[in-house]
Amino acid sequence: MKSNTNYLRFGFFHRFCHFLIIISFFGLVLTGMPLAFRGYDWARWLYELFGGYPTAGFIHRICALITFFATFIHFVFLFVCVSVQKKKGFFWGPNSLLIQPRDIFDIACDIKWFLGLGKRPDFDRWIYWEKFEYLSLMWGTLVMAVTGFILWFPVQFTKIIPISVASIIDLPGIALIIHRYEAILAAGFIFTIHFFHTHLLPEKMPVDEAIFTGAITEEEFKHERLNQYKRLENQRQLQNYEVAPPSLFVTFLTRLFAIPALITGLVMVGFMLSALIVWIL
Amino acid sequence: MGYKLEKSPIRKIVSGLVRFRWFALFMVCSAIIGLSPAVLTAGDNGPCIECHTNPEKLKTAEKAKINPVTGEIKVISMVINESTFKASAHGGEDFFCIDCHQDLDGVDLADGHKPNLKPVDCITFCHDDPADDYLQSNHVKLMKDNSKDVPVCKDCHAGLTYHFTSIGEKAPMYVPKGTDPLHRRLTIESCGSCHQEYFDSYRNNAHGQIAALGHTTTEIPVCFDCHGKHKILNTSDPESKVGKERIMETCGSCHANVNASFVKHIEHPQIKNLNYYKKLLAALKNARSDPENFKKLLKNPQTILCVVFVMYVGILTFTFTSFGLHSLLSWFAVVRDEHKRKGHTDEEQH
Repeated sequence: MKSNTNYLRFGFFHRFCHFLIIISFFGLVLTGMPLAFRGYDWARWLYELFGGYPTAGFIHRICALITFFATFIHFVFLFVCVSVQKKKGFFWGPNSLLIQPRDIFDIACDIKWFLGLGKRPDFDRWIYWEKFEYLSLMWGTLVMAVTGFILWFPVQFTKIIPISVASIIDLPGIALIIHRYEAILAAGFIFTIHFFHTHLLPEKMPVDEAIFTGAITEEEFKHERLNQYKRLENQRQLQNYEVAPPSLFVTFLTRLFAIPALITGLVMVGFMLSALIVWIL
Repeated sequence: MGYKLEKSPIRKIVSGLVRFRWFALFMVCSAIIGLSPAVLTAGDNGPCIECHTNPEKLKTAEKAKINPVTGEIKVISMVINESTFKASAHGGEDFFCIDCHQDLDGVDLADGHKPNLKPVDCITFCHDDPADDYLQSNHVKLMKDNSKDVPVCKDCHAGLTYHFTSIGEKAPMYVPKGTDPLHRRLTIESCGSCHQEYFDSYRNNAHGQIAALGHTTTEIPVCFDCHGKHKILNTSDPESKVGKERIMETCGSCHANVNASFVKHIEHPQIKNLNYYKKLLAALKNARSDPENFKKLLKNPQTILCVVFVMYVGILTFTFTSFGLHSLLSWFAVVRDEHKRKGHTDEEQH
């Protein structure tokens, strides 16, 4: 039974950014992965599905620009919050997405829980693995953007390095290797670890709708993030976060969008795993 | 390498009719000419096609041929596909079998002709331009130095034959051009059948990975776009397309405004070549006794590529094992908690 009290977990801005990232990430993975797994039939099929050369490449670049846009507005948002609105708690405290001393303690507690030596630890607004995912997304986007730009404009980028350096450090060559394996890392991470940690947990199956509707039920809130719930209750701010439960239509739309995306991601994982198995054998 | 000319049933019927037509013509002709012996003359393909479209009329329907370069043995059928021949660049009205198979000029065909014809000479009268380039190439020089048979045109221009076999000999409908995507792709495989290491490393590169997905239009460079078509020379040769003097021009034919740093790019990364890693390890072991070699390898741009690659393999392995384990454990713990909770509520109900 879902309780009727719902709280806001993600504001519209964050949901919109997550949506942009989903759209662009899938576009990037589906048009880029065939190049990394070029020897397999599924790669050829997928590449042709997206128009082959050069259409798939254009789609890839457009999606990259969408990712840049999402990253750009995210940093503008952070800048406005920190510098203009002078909000506190972006670098320190329970609302920060940066690693805090408390996270080390949480990891230890979590491992205890895994081994059956303790009860499930209570978390605050961001759980340590969520922070890790956020930070690795930021780092990964930076790496992919820089190497991607080098591959997009190889002549212009090599122009700025002297010949003596270029004969030891092959910039486009390094960029290609990093771009390829960072992509496999990112796609593999999102489609397995992120999916199984956030969406495909037995208690969430099939999707954690909070990132699409923004709302989380009281039960879920207490179960997942008891510390944040208690903190807000003590500060008498809990009422400020109360929202109407998502309508049936919104829930339907969420699932209509999220479930095919999840399946696509899992199919991609299947393809990549099959390639790994073939490679090992 | 899987290009077989599939015959549709309609075409089979048509070619059957064509065969029958020739057969009928032959019967009529032989009736008219009577006992006069058939002599091959320029200006007539009839006598050749008459037998070479019908395996039953041939003494030898199939022959084995050894590729002088790869040593590969192929079975080549002596049967001609007439429509393929007619559609080819050599199949025009004023072009005849004996123009190429010159040792059959004026031969009496009463008992058939001798079994082994001379190899076709493409060079002397027609294709002297590419041949001239080819004879100056490193391939020819190496073969001569090692006193081996020089590969002939057909050894690389695979499929440039009108002979058909039951096992599926390639038979392009035209003499392949450098701009034709299928021909461009087949040449990668032809070069790769000898130069396996370069073929593998090419596929690890930006150009080769798109070619590997089956896109080989002129926008995607294949082997001969960079190394030259017939005059393939060693990089040390000043005339080589990939040598110091001409590399800017070669890369510049696709990439506008190339610069001297850009052309230092490694087209054949050794990141997946075990031999290169063995070489690196050996140099590392002998770093004290032979520091020059070690320094040289360190300065080789391939080394950095290999280090980056190995680093990423490490990162991938570490990330997926640690976080995979974490995911599995959290899944297991959630299920366990759920199970316990259910057990409790059951007890309370009883």
